Formats: sequence, C-alpha cells, structure tokens
Amino acid sequence: MDNNNIETQEPNLSLDMSENVNSMKNTDISSEEQLLEPPEILFQDESIDLGGENFTTPQEQPILDNILYKLSDQMMESVIISDSPNNSEDDAGQLEGLHDVLEQCEAGEESLLKLSTETKENNESINDTSDLENPEKSQKDFQSVSTVNEDMNCKDSSKEDESSSQLAVADSILSNSTNQKIEEPTSKNSAKEEAIPVCTIFSQVNNLPKIQGQSLKPDGFEPAIVKSPSFGSSFETPNKLLPLMCQPSPSLSKFFADNCQSNPASDFFDSFTTSSSFISVSNPNANQSNSSVPEGLSSVSSSVLSTPQESATPAFYFGESSSQPTPSNVTPTFSQLQAAFTGTDDPFATALNMSEVDRRYDAWLPSEETRKTLISIATLQYNSVLNKEKLTMPGLKFDNLQGDAVRDLMLRFLGEQAASKRQALTANSVEQSFLGLKQLISTKNWRAAVDLTGRLLTAHGQGYGKSGQPTSHTTDSLQLWFVRLALLTKLSLFQNAELEFESFGNLDQPDLYYEYHPCVYPGRKGSMVPFSMRVLHAELPQYLGKPQESLDRLHTMKTVCTKILDHLENGLAEDGSMINILQENRQACWFNRQTSIQLWRSRLCRVMYSMANCLLMMKDYVLAVDVYHSIIKYEPSQKPQLLSGIGRIFLQIGDIRKAEKYFQDVETDFKTKGNDPNQNTVVLMNRAFVYLSQNNYGDAHSSFSEVLRIDPTNPVANNNAAVCLLYLGKLKESLKQLESLVQQDPSHYLHESVLFNLTTMYELESSRSMQKKQALLESVACREGDSFNIQCLKLM
Amino acid sequence: MQVKVQAESGKMDVNQAKQEHLLALKVMRLTKPTLFTNMPVTCEDRDLPGDLFSKLMREDPSTVKGAETLMLGEMLTLPQNFGNIFLGETFSSYISVHNDSNQIVKDILVKADLQTSSQRLNLSASNSAVAELKPECCIDDVIHHEVKEIGTHILVCAVSYTTQMGEKMYFRKFFKFQVLKPLDVKTKFYNAETDEVFLEAQIQNITTSPMFMEKVSLEPSIMYSVMELNIVSTGEDGVSTFGKMSYLQPMDTRQYLYCLKPKPEFAEKAGVIKGVTVIGKLDIVWKTNLGERGRLQTSQLQRMAPGYGDVRLSLELIPDTVNLEEPFDITCKITNCSSERTMDLVLEMCNTNSIHWCGVSGRQLGKLNPSSSLSLTLKLLSSVQGLQSISGLRLTDTFLKRTYEYDDIAQVCVVCSHMNPDS
Repeated sequence: MDNNNIETQEPNLSLDMSENVNSMKNTDISSEEQLLEPPEILFQDESIDLGGENFTTPQEQPILDNILYKLSDQMMESVIISDSPNNSEDDAGQLEGLHDVLEQCEAGEESLLKLSTETKENNESINDTSDLENPEKSQKDFQSVSTVNEDMNCKDSSKEDESSSQLAVADSILSNSTNQKIEEPTSKNSAKEEAIPVCTIFSQVNNLPKIQGQSLKPDGFEPAIVKSPSFGSSFETPNKLLPLMCQPSPSLSKFFADNCQSNPASDFFDSFTTSSSFISVSNPNANQSNSSVPEGLSSVSSSVLSTPQESATPAFYFGESSSQPTPSNVTPTFSQLQAAFTGTDDPFATALNMSEVDRRYDAWLPSEETRKTLISIATLQYNSVLNKEKLTMPGLKFDNLQGDAVRDLMLRFLGEQAASKRQALTANSVEQSFLGLKQLISTKNWRAAVDLTGRLLTAHGQGYGKSGQPTSHTTDSLQLWFVRLALLTKLSLFQNAELEFESFGNLDQPDLYYEYHPCVYPGRKGSMVPFSMRVLHAELPQYLGKPQESLDRLHTMKTVCTKILDHLENGLAEDGSMINILQENRQACWFNRQTSIQLWRSRLCRVMYSMANCLLMMKDYVLAVDVYHSIIKYEPSQKPQLLSGIGRIFLQIGDIRKAEKYFQDVETDFKTKGNDPNQNTVVLMNRAFVYLSQNNYGDAHSSFSEVLRIDPTNPVANNNAAVCLLYLGKLKESLKQLESLVQQDPSHYLHESVLFNLTTMYELESSRSMQKKQALLESVACREGDSFNIQCLKLM
Repeated sequence: MQVKVQAESGKMDVNQAKQEHLLALKVMRLTKPTLFTNMPVTCEDRDLPGDLFSKLMREDPSTVKGAETLMLGEMLTLPQNFGNIFLGETFSSYISVHNDSNQIVKDILVKADLQTSSQRLNLSASNSAVAELKPECCIDDVIHHEVKEIGTHILVCAVSYTTQMGEKMYFRKFFKFQVLKPLDVKTKFYNAETDEVFLEAQIQNITTSPMFMEKVSLEPSIMYSVMELNIVSTGEDGVSTFGKMSYLQPMDTRQYLYCLKPKPEFAEKAGVIKGVTVIGKLDIVWKTNLGERGRLQTSQLQRMAPGYGDVRLSLELIPDTVNLEEPFDITCKITNCSSERTMDLVLEMCNTNSIHWCGVSGRQLGKLNPSSSLSLTLKLLSSVQGLQSISGLRLTDTFLKRTYEYDDIAQVCVVCSHMNPDS
C-alpha cells in the first residue's frame, strides 16, 4: 500500500481526500476548530470552467457557437465534484491548478499593452491566491490527522512535486471527470489540451445542434429510393402505359375548387392540363403541337364543368381569398392524384381569356437570351428542341418522411403511452390534394405538408430521382414546388431547399415561361414561376451563409420590378408591349393599370424588405437602415413600424441617441396623422426599449406594463415585462407571469421565444427544471403541429 | 484494500449527492436580452397556399404587426449563452439559491466573490444571513461588477446554511471565465512647426460584434489644451468625419485626430516641454447590443518632445503667398532652451539663392536668459518664383562661439505680382 502511494501520487491524493470527506461526515464536525472556520471546511467545491479561452478566435465560429451554447447549460447544471469517487483529489489538484492559472495570468498581465483600466497593480495576488489554497490545505492536513495519518510524508512530497506535474494533475482531473460525468463529451479535446486544472464539466448539451434548428440535415436523408406508401409502384405503370389516357375523374372539380375562384377560367384549365406532362416522361419530344389536338377534343367534359366559374369578368379577380369548397368524401387514391394532373386544356377558351389578371401576375422580364428563344418559339409555332442544359428538370432530392419531432421527444421523455396520445395530422391523414395540403399548412404540420407535396409532385412525374429527366411544367407543378420549398425554408431545412432549388437554375430557363408551351397555354405569356418563389429563391442563400448571393439575386429582381413599373407608368403593358387600345372600356383599362401598378409596387416593396433583412443579417446596418427607410415611400401605412424598426436597429448597435431620434419621428408622425389605435402601444413599446438600453429595467418594466393596461393580451409586452422582472432580480414573479400566460392563452404564448425564456428561467430556478419542461412539452403536444421547433424546450 | 474502501465510499457519495444539499445554487450571466428575429416567408393570395402564410405570420406573436416582413421583431429573449466579456464591460450575474427540499432551512448566507489574477472582490449585495428559507422559495441576487482586469476570473459562490436538525452545511461553486481585450489602440504623434502636437489614435475593434463608439476623447494633461479634429462643422451641427458609420464592425479600425496646444503658461517656460512629456489619456466609451456599455482609459500617453538643442527658432507668422521681388515679413520666435545659461545671440542669413533678408546682415539680438524667448520680425524678399524654402538662418552664441543652423524652417509661395489675385 505504501509502495503504491509513493509511486503514484494522484491516487494517493485521492485516497486522502476521500478519507477526509468521510471523516467529516463521520465525525460530524465534532471538532470545534472546524466549526470555527466554516468557510474553510472543504465540503463540496464545484468549479465550472466556462471555457473562456475558447472565445478568443472568431474564425472558429461553428465550434465556438457550439461551446457557447453548451455553456449556458453548464452554468445551470453544474455537478458537485467531490461527490464522485475517483475525483476526490480535485480539491488539491484543483486549487493547485487554480493557483497555477492565476500565476499564468499574472505573467500574461505584464505583457498587456497600454490598455489597462485604472487599477493599481496589486502584488498581493500571490498572497491572495495562496490564501485560497493554503488554509484549505492545512485544514486538510488537520483532518487527515484526525482519521488516517498514514501518509503525511507523501503528502509533503506531493506538494512539492505538484507544481511540476500540474499538467498531469490537470489532465487526470479532466479525465476523471470524463469518466464520472456522463455529460462530459469525449470529443472535448481542446479542453484537455488546455490543461486547465479547474475541473471541466460539460453537460450533454454539447451534442445539440445550434438552436437555429437544423435538426434534419440533408445528410440525414437516405439517398435510397423510398417510395411513399400510398402509391408505390402502382403509378409508374400508367405513366409509361398511356399518357394520353384522360381520366375525367369525378373529384376533378374538388381539385380546382379551392383556387379556381380566385383564378380566371384560363387558369382553371392551365392548372390541370398536362396529359402532356405524362407524355413527356416517356417521350421528351412530346411537347408538340399535334399532341394538343386530341387533348382539346377530349376535354370537352371538363370544360363544361368549369363554365360556371368562368362567368365573371376575370379582370377583377385578384387577391381575393378563395372560398373553401366542400371536400368530397373520397379516399385518396392514385387515380385521384393522377386526375390532378391529367385534366386537359381547352385551347378555345384559353385563347379568348388571356386575362388581365394572368398578365399582371405572371409578368416577368426574361433575360435577353431566354427572350430570343421564346420569340423563336412563338414565331415558328414549333417547339425548337432545346439543349438539355437549358431545360428545367426538377425532381425530389429526398423522399423519406419528415416525422414528428415533438412525438419523438415525448417518446423519449414521457414514454410510449403519452406519445401515442399525440395527434398531429400526417400526410396520410388528409386528402391527397391541395385541400389537404392547405389543411396541413394551417394546422402547422409543415413536415407532413412537405411529405404531401412530395407525393403530389411524384404523381406529376417529378418525384424522387426524376431530377435531370425531361418533364413538363404546369402552373400547378410550380406552385407545388413553391409550397414545398417555402415550407422547407420555414422549417429551417435550408440545405434541402437549396438542393431541390438547384435544378431550377436561376428561374430563367425558357421552359419556365408560358410562351414555351403555346399548345398547352395558348396565348398565355409570362412566368410560370410564381413571384413568391423568385423571392424565396433569392432569399435562400443568406440562410446558408451566402448573403452576397442573396443580395445579387434580389438586386436583379428589383431591377425587373422597377422596369415593369416604368412600363406601366408609361402606359405600356408590364412587359413593355403596347396595350391593346381596342378595349371598349377605357375606364376598365385605366383601372387595370392602376391595379397593376399597385401590385408591382407591393412586389417591389417585398423585394426591398428582403434586401433590408439580408443586409441586417450581414450586419451592414447603414445600408439596411437606408433600404428600410426607402420602403416608407412605397408603403406609407407602415411608416410607424418601419421607423420603430430602424430605431431598434440603432438600439442593437448601441446608438441610443439615434434610436431616440427615430422613435421621436414615430411620435410626430402619429401626431400629424391623427389617431391611430396602435399609437400608444407603439410609443410605449419604443420608450420601454430605450429604458432597457439605458439599463433602466424598472422603467422599462413599467412601460411594458402600461402597454398591457391598454392591450392586456399583447404577447410581446407580456413576455418583455417578464424578461425585465428577471433583470430586476425577481425570478419568481417573472416565472409566474410567463407561466400563467402559457397556461391561459397557449395559442399566443406557445411560441418558441416565450418558451425559450420560460425554460431558461426554469433552469435558473431549481434543479427540477426537467419536470417542468416536460409539462411544457405536454401542452405543446396537444396544440402544436409537427413544425414546432423543439429546441426551445431545451430538453436535450 | 484501502482502494476498495475508497471506491465503496465513493459510490455512497454519488448516491447521496442529490439529497445531501437542501439548497441548490444557480448562476446565470445576465448579458442584455436580444430581440427575436423571425424569418418571413410570404406568398401572394393567388399562390397555392392562398392567404395561409400571411395569416400564420399575422398570428405569430413575434412578428411586427402591420409589417410582418420586417425581420427584427420586438420580442425579447434571454441570453442563450455566457458570451464574451471584455475589459471595461460590466459583468452582471443572477445568483439564485433555491430550496429544493421540503424542509425549512435556516441562516442562509450566500457569498459571491470574484477572484481575479490580482485580487478578490466581494460582489454580494448584502453580507447578512437570511433567517430562513421555506421549501420552493429562493434567495435572489443580481451582482454587477465592472471588469478591470484581463484574463481569468473566477466567480466563487459560497452558500452556508443550517438544516432543521441544526446541522451546519456549506458548499461552493466556481465559475470561471475569461476577460478579453476589446480594443487595440495605437497612437502616433506629429510635431507641427509651431508648438502644436497632433495625436493620431487608431482604435481597432477586436471583438466579434459591432461596437458603437459613444465617446472617444482625449483628456489632456495640465500642460495642454486639446482640440478634437473628428468633426467637420458645417453650419450649426457638426458632422462626424466618420459619416453615418457610428459603429465599428469587428476588426475595423478608426482614426481619431487631436490637436494639442501647450497652454501659454507652459509654452513660455520652454524648458518644461522638453524630453518626455505626458500628453494625456484617451477615454473610450462604447456600447454594443441594446446598450451594453463598456469604458476604457488608456494609460498616460507620453511623447518625446523633439530636441531643439540649446536654442530653438520657431515660426510665429508667415504669409503663404507673396509677390515676386516685394518684401514681406515673417515673425519668428527664438527661445533659449538651456536651463541655466544666458546667451548672447547674433542672427545671420547666408547661402541663400532666392530668399534674401532686407537689412543689415548679422543682427545683434542681445542677451537671452534661460527659458526665455524673444520675438523677431524679419523682412524678406524673394527673387525667384515658385515654392521657396526659407533657409540659411544662423544663430551664433557669442559666449560659447557656437553656431546653430536653421534650414528649411518654412516655405512660401512666390508669385509674379500681376498674377497675384490680391494685387
């Protein structure tokens, strides 16, 4: 045993200490000396390395973030070191190490540059640190005498040696803690290399992805073809078999019903043309004019179906929300899916109804090259066969189901029984149609909605693995793509969205314009790609760390928008062509143009908002503020919000004076414009933010509370008031406020920001935060869809 | 054998760990909250989702009502991580001691100390014990400390209390963090022909977030008065030379310029401004996210005054443009910089090609006492056009027979009289 001690000091030390701790307990502080100096009694010392050294290098951003995120939880969930068996030498090693660290710091201090705050150099540091160390050591010695006084010699020698072998000690501490605390990630090499003797305890949070939920990364997806269950192989065959086969399904009307009201008749037909789409799968040259003849003939039945909707003047259909049709009770079958795309086209009806609305919404200015191609198609009346590179051939890039993270979490924390109660809609539980899709979106089951878009696109021949294969586009297929990509973006699955966007290129290929498909869409012009999809396409790169690319795309869009507005203001059509003067009603013509100008103004604003948002993300505040400011000109009704927003940007920078100036502008704007119901709320809210920035949490809290007197259900004011309470040191009050909000009005407060605050406070409040978080999970489970961001519950 | 015992006892410890302490200590650093940003994804009513997206965005509490596409919302979120802390900032932390048990705990004393490399500071608001703490209740404290040292800091929180059984309990927790340097400051002095000194200060933001520079001022030492040259005054309001950029992006550097003039009482005593002099110090106040404030002062900036030798000749007054072959006046100041020697000076001008002195060559200036100066006006004339340098002035101290040379002391632009707009 003695040999053992002499040879290896560390285990020896550990023995020592464990004995000490035991002795303390056993003797139950019988010795009065111990009682006299309670601060020196080594009961349980914990130390948490906040990993400060890691912060220095800004280049290591991802790692850094990870560590930073981890830290918050470390603070919360520190583990008592001396509890653990092998770790009892920590006290000695730790303090020794601490001393060492401090010494190092001192040395470092001397090399500091001129920047030093006005603190006197204190040479007492050594004394101070030894203060930390020596009494405890002596205390330790004292205790060991009372119990086992076996190895005093060893101890002394170890003391001397310790300084030399500190690194080893530190390492051993680290590895010890690794062994005992499961939370310590084994990959934490950097911490080990640093050899900071203060014990490092990392909780398991390390493995968590960043809070910007990227729970499903593309690499998580299996490249294997996994067909959706509802239509596996069954539908491949008809594709190959008989493309021209038209299936006038009874459920056809249901398919259009929910957007045909807002669309003119031409749209109605356009939407479901595409027997050609199936032709194209097997026959790339299928987009030939002769193919449309039989289609037109066979489509009589469906055109009859549509006549009632055609009756109103199409020119006045814009921006109206659609009325919900009564869903017919049909089980989703393949034929139904097929039907969504196998409708035929009535060339006569569409030719007559190249409506104002279509032209207005679809207008886009293609690039010069694309424009030439489109002209040649129009003049030749033939489809000049294009290079494959110039065609858009999209396909799903992943086909596995998205799942429900909330349910997975329940399964993990609440057990199978609880999880089985979770009732979120899935792609299977709704109609396999646009209607079902809308249902999924509005119930916030976006993951299921993505699944459903996948199925519908598969039915359209653009399913998994179809990328790179010629296909034909319809208004509906592009709308489906838009919804899918928009939802992926909303779910923060940016890589997936980018992957699937890839095959669309820059959204300027000729086959993405109606002119390319004269037989399917006779007389129709403009972009098949919805404007919102272009915005999405432009915005996407910024979320993937390529804001410059986003800006480029947005600028291109802005140029087109301004050009179109120019055309309109000069009395031309959107694309710059002359407007047909023969229109009998000049007033209607003027009206149409005004509507068009309005639409394009709002689109221009949308693009400018995106630009400003992107600049804000890039932290280019000067430009962002400029762009936000210029939006006011186009959207005067949003002036108070925009000015307040700019004010908040300045607060974020730290420029409080400028922020106050903008907030003042908001108030004067209200004064000149007269009574606005939101006036007081906005003014008070802005004031509260200024107080907050002046570190005046008391007044900030009363301002937020004042907002609540005017508007008791204001979720922002409620949440912000609670946050202020925490900074005022009133944790319990703050918790009470947030908790009651979440319980009373879950529809408003089950928001990730509120829940994040709440869980953070739970962690600060007690060691039993886990139960409380799980209770939150339960209330989330019965309200929220599968798109809920589970990160904010901080359960993992 | 002993090893075995140790292992067993260790296990016991683990099992008892959770029950052992009735109180739990939680610490959270209170950096400023952040504003929640949402991610607008929109569609038009004619698109497939119809008004669904816009409806969802309107219902989302974190969006700005009426301008949902504005990314920066109003919802405050608590800090998500410890973050960085920089010298001169204030370290704030929430300390909560919660009674996790089901019994009343007595005489609770919570102590928060900050151990830096040089000292140990007590940060607790009160040092008196709390008489009792009921189950599920907590003791809250928010501590603040302006960080004045770089390097490792350790927050040591100690809790002592008495259980119902009368058992005295005590535990501690250490929270370690690094204080980093926020700014890099470099200074450079320029000596003007006159007594003025220009100070250029380069301030670089070496943090990872933008920094609003609220104040960067030079606090001069008693010998100098300072003029800031960082504002261009146009009309009433001065415009900052940095334009609209009131903030410094990470790694950005900014130059500040100051003009320092010796105060007359010191300027007269030329001897004082000699060798190393203390110019003053820079006082820098910055703000970051939602008004998080930091302040630093540099150490006293020192400047080596240029050596003027025993006798200094400086220019007080000189026209910038003069006419060809027309006399003009310059005023120079001659200072005896020596500490105790009185001088008897003779001024000469020699080796001049273009600029000539109108008057008797070799003027007696008389006796000049130590640390005193005299003003002298010279009438000059230029015979050559263009930019001419005034050179060739020689002062001779007749006591020591020592000659001091002054070349290129100033330049003057000589123009043809009919081209000078003034004439």
